[in-house]
Amino acid sequence: MGSFLKSFRKDVGSTAPAVGVAPPKKELQPLPMTPLEKMLMELGPIREDGSDKFFGMENYGNTCYCNSILQCLYYSVPFREAVLNYPKRTPIESLEAALAKSLRYQDPNARLEAEALAEKQKVANPPRPGQPPNPQQKPEDKDSPEYKKKIALQTLPLLETANNSDSYAMSESLFTSMKDIFESVVGSHTRIGIIRPQHFLDVLRREHEMFRTAMHQDAHEFLNLLLNAVVTNVEDAAKDPTPSKLLPADESSESLQPSSSSGLKTPNTTRWVHELFEGLLTSETQCLTCEKVSQRDEVFLDLSVDLEQHSSVTSCLRKFSAEEMLCERNKFHCDNCGGLQEAEKRMKIKRLPRVLALHLKRFKYTEDLQKLQKLFHRVVYPYHLRLFNTTDDAEDPDRLYELYAVVVHIGGGPYHGHYVAIIKTEDRGWLLFDDEMVEPVDKNYVRNFFGDKPGLACAYVLFYQETTMEAVMKEQEQENMEPLAEANTAIVKHNGFAHSPALAHVHSASQVPVPEEHDRFTGLKRAPTAPQLSTHYENAYSEKLTSSAPAQTALTSLPPVPPIPETPPSPLKSRKSDLQSRKERAREEKERKAAEKEKEKQRRKEIESSFRDRQRREEAELKAALEASKATKVEEDRRNHTENGSSKKSPGGLGRFRSISHRLGKDKESRTSLPPLPSLPNGDHSSSKVSVEQAQPEILRKPLAQPPSQPLSPPPNNHAARPSPVETPTVQPEQQDTIRSPKNDRSSHGKWRSFSIRKKSFNILSS
Amino acid sequence: MFVLPPPPPRYTVPVAYAAGAANGMPVPIVETNNIINHPEGGCPLQVGEGTYQLLDDLHLATPPPHPSEAPVINPNPLATVPAPPTSGVKLSLVSIGSRNKTVFPTKLNVTAPPFGDGNSALAPPPVKDASKKRKPKNNIIKSSSSFVSRVIIHEATTKRLNDRDPEGLFAFANINRAFQWLDLSSKQKDEPLSKILFTKAHMISHDVNEITKSSSHIDVAMGSSAGDIFWYEPISQKYARINKNGVINSSPVTHIKWIPGSENLFIAAHENGQLVVYDKEKEDALFTPELPEQSVESVKPSRSLQVLKSVNSKNQKTNPVAVWKLANQKIYQFAFSPDQRHLAVVLEDGSLRLLDYLEEVVLDVFRSYYGGFTCICWSPDGKYIVTGGQDDLVTIWSLPERKIIARCQGHESWVSAVAFDPWRCDERTYRIGSVGDDCNLLLWDFSVGMLHRPKAHHQASARNRTSLIASSSQHIHRHRAESAGNRMRSDSQRTAADSDTASDQPVDHPVESRSRTALLPPIMSRAVGEDPICWLGFQEDSIMTSSLEGHIRTWDRPRESIGDNYGDHNSSTALETGPGSGRPASSMGSQ
Repeated sequence: MGSFLKSFRKDVGSTAPAVGVAPPKKELQPLPMTPLEKMLMELGPIREDGSDKFFGMENYGNTCYCNSILQCLYYSVPFREAVLNYPKRTPIESLEAALAKSLRYQDPNARLEAEALAEKQKVANPPRPGQPPNPQQKPEDKDSPEYKKKIALQTLPLLETANNSDSYAMSESLFTSMKDIFESVVGSHTRIGIIRPQHFLDVLRREHEMFRTAMHQDAHEFLNLLLNAVVTNVEDAAKDPTPSKLLPADESSESLQPSSSSGLKTPNTTRWVHELFEGLLTSETQCLTCEKVSQRDEVFLDLSVDLEQHSSVTSCLRKFSAEEMLCERNKFHCDNCGGLQEAEKRMKIKRLPRVLALHLKRFKYTEDLQKLQKLFHRVVYPYHLRLFNTTDDAEDPDRLYELYAVVVHIGGGPYHGHYVAIIKTEDRGWLLFDDEMVEPVDKNYVRNFFGDKPGLACAYVLFYQETTMEAVMKEQEQENMEPLAEANTAIVKHNGFAHSPALAHVHSASQVPVPEEHDRFTGLKRAPTAPQLSTHYENAYSEKLTSSAPAQTALTSLPPVPPIPETPPSPLKSRKSDLQSRKERAREEKERKAAEKEKEKQRRKEIESSFRDRQRREEAELKAALEASKATKVEEDRRNHTENGSSKKSPGGLGRFRSISHRLGKDKESRTSLPPLPSLPNGDHSSSKVSVEQAQPEILRKPLAQPPSQPLSPPPNNHAARPSPVETPTVQPEQQDTIRSPKNDRSSHGKWRSFSIRKKSFNILSS
Repeated sequence: MFVLPPPPPRYTVPVAYAAGAANGMPVPIVETNNIINHPEGGCPLQVGEGTYQLLDDLHLATPPPHPSEAPVINPNPLATVPAPPTSGVKLSLVSIGSRNKTVFPTKLNVTAPPFGDGNSALAPPPVKDASKKRKPKNNIIKSSSSFVSRVIIHEATTKRLNDRDPEGLFAFANINRAFQWLDLSSKQKDEPLSKILFTKAHMISHDVNEITKSSSHIDVAMGSSAGDIFWYEPISQKYARINKNGVINSSPVTHIKWIPGSENLFIAAHENGQLVVYDKEKEDALFTPELPEQSVESVKPSRSLQVLKSVNSKNQKTNPVAVWKLANQKIYQFAFSPDQRHLAVVLEDGSLRLLDYLEEVVLDVFRSYYGGFTCICWSPDGKYIVTGGQDDLVTIWSLPERKIIARCQGHESWVSAVAFDPWRCDERTYRIGSVGDDCNLLLWDFSVGMLHRPKAHHQASARNRTSLIASSSQHIHRHRAESAGNRMRSDSQRTAADSDTASDQPVDHPVESRSRTALLPPIMSRAVGEDPICWLGFQEDSIMTSSLEGHIRTWDRPRESIGDNYGDHNSSTALETGPGSGRPASSMGSQ
């Protein structure tokens, strides 16, 4: 299927001859940093969990619906972790090796020259697409998003992914191509860049006819389709190799990085999408004739709420549970009385999802116009939310949610417009993701999309994730702390770049990174992590540097053409970076581990309190399910493994041209050193077999390893779906082979629907 | 009301006035006049005691943008440039006469000493003629200030002032960059007595000093979006600027109130989480925090209050008199308790902080169900605090019990203002009104009987509280730094630990679960306009609201009451409209 990272190139946006022209130019100005770059200055080493990656996404013409949703999902920590870790996480070394080899860092001088050239070209002729316009030197241009995107596309590293589904032992699907994207972002050595989701879109268009056109699509529909597809893909993959549905297991799950920072470390079962997004609705219907109450439960992955002018999300949700009369044409078929009867119906939430995706139904069919129309109602949404419409017996009915992402639709109607996402990242505050552009924004900015502001931009999908009061209070303490922001503004002034002081607030969270990190890493050369940032900063002070471009520039500044797949990067550069990374990786590895362990600890503590109750219940069940002895043993094994695994980690050195099987072989190598699980075959396998068995212990591991290490445990009802671990050994190699045959059989899986709160369309009961 | 626009480009260009709009409402090109409407059919409010009839709807004119301020048109709906803060129309009402304000409770014991008592540096300078109030220095009409753009004085202001009934209500109202002085008792109440147009700043909050008001003198303090504070005396048309160009605090003023009982001092809440006490007559001085041997960073003012300058400071020649930092969060509103001892402050972070502002300490911190708190008021007898917030709830808190009493559910959007109706309160039952972004006016009755519903409820022990009140501010200073450090580490157990151990820390009350809290439905809910309502006031004879776009609506109280047969002990018999008679039982909370 070709190399996983088809190409990862530095697009300098300048032609080679231009280099010769540019240096003597006197009017060359230091390129001001983008707000994002400024925010990311002075950061420690790149993390392994992907939480500090801020990649834009290229728009291939009306694909903003896809970009905005993918971004929202990426920044859902548990979702990202789950995608990365299911069925297994591609070993970070191999990923890194591939990336390190192909990754070239931006030469700031080259970039400046590109700008100079661009300016020249711009003066000469109006900017055409593909031509680098002059970045941010003209203040009037600065705010144009198109402009910023062009610059981003010209200057930032581009990351293109290709199908890597084989290494996940899954057939190519929406899930695998999304995983491809997530993994390559996490594995990349730069914090910023641009993803080219071309491959993802190819798969999407191949499998779903409605997305084949270049038309504007509905972001919510896409979200729903994507979540359903992930559910299906994952379940298919789990089912296919073992029709008995015994073990979609994966031995490599032990080799998971301890880096995963969320409680949901491993997607232990195929049910992880359900565990995150799925909630349970109960509809109670009382027949007014016989007064019998009938109940029916239905699951949902997101909630669609009807809007009213001057209302709030709270109110929209509350309306959902208001009693509704089923009468006249909409009578209820009562089993008790036998016939259509008038009835009273109310819908309540019985199980709250961990991530609550709220779709605000801004597109409404109007009879008069015979088409969908966009509602510009003012609907306010708070930063935090609890649900009023829960059933009395709901678990944790007071669960606190925090708003973490908003998908905004800009435009006058449903058939056109633009989507962007505004997302709260873990420790970098709120960011605006507008295709290729990523920009830090003020917290208050999130409130610009209630629907009452001019400009036709309204919130369309809201993502709330569960949180705890403690976490919220901690965050609030850190909000709007100025010291660092002031430092930044000072720098900005040096650069002679007008910087909105209000934006400084954005940096509020930037103190969050543990100070120790800084101390520990002072000895480390930071170049590979954020090279153009630091060099650039220096350049701001001396223009001379910029005019004397090193020879390297000539080599690396390529014409602004789309990246050519499979083209080897300039050898000089790549070797250098490879060496660098090799040395550094060894060191970084250790540091990172420690830092992450610490972070993990902290995080766990936070989450723990909210899940204490759940855990208790969970533990009780676990005990019943498993013998204690077994649990301890596997736990031991696991611990041994992580120790061995970490010590085993050798510096990468894997080129991006090495095949996937190579990587797997390496993976295996480290695996064999572990005390193997009793049931698992170890020893020699072809690469395909390796990948198959990777799917196995996934399941095994969860119940066993859970009590001590996992603050987040799945709701108890998952146990039914989880195959018993005892059955593991029954898998035969022959069966495993079946996984390779591509299977697209999705028919056996019910599709999940999003439930519309417009109740007339919600006809569970009559069906 | 909605017209489908043509297919827009990826980024649409908004209508021309958009960026010049205040709160999204269009800004006219020319100066226009206020308009009085008498809507047909009215907007009757039907409650147990009768029907409140809409008297009129006074629509304040939004001023055109300042000529020097060409409206900035930003075609990018995603522009990250923050919009300057502004506010919907709010009113400050004052009656010069002896209108009986304290119908309930019949007598209120103010035992609290005046603010800053004991600090000789704060003692007022000897006044030659006590009856003559000091006026601000500058004449606003002749002013060449760049802050004030224009002042429009009604041609017959003097005559109107002489002829009017001293009992009549004056109203001060902000709208966009204008500030109007209205005589609500006048026949031409739509014609302002004066109108100030500011150059750039919008007045966000304002208040009238109840102590100094007379027929020849009214002290108005206003806080602006620029952070500047304006002391305005409308009768002489004099003014003074305080915190000029934000020299003391440059963040916008979100709320401003005169300290009860004080002629000179008022508190302004700034958006950066600071409460600043100013003296209207003092000059500004560059402010540097007076911190007792600790740096700003070492103190986490998350729950406690950081005294940047104490009222006890000897350095009182200039403003500010005192500065307290509550949090890094926006303060929405604050309210003084009727006994003038407590200050209740609500913030964007969803906390309600109860302060003993005389001692400069935080006593209690309560939390919203979720989202920020937006408004607050005290019951007339000081027993209850009522808040409104972004959880669409009106919440009732008991001061003596220091706990939540009930959540009132009925708004369909964020609550923007709450107020008690003292004319319909007695020892047992209380009337609350609330308005919100949902354009609705809601009325609530809650009775003391309801408060004793059996509920499992744990709360902090009384022992801690008494020690809290007794503890001196010095004591707090000493311990704050340490306990702040501890707090960072013991987050998960903080709530539990607090009530037991931290005797000098405010009691942090955890959020009460829904299942253990009484839920109160409204007795009346009515959409009263088409734009969000921002302010609510109860008068002896009326209910008033004002809205985002400048609609001031007045409802007359019911003329005949159902329960007239038994006398109401608390409302004055002299009321012309005869409101406030007995309350039928049906008007109480139906739960």
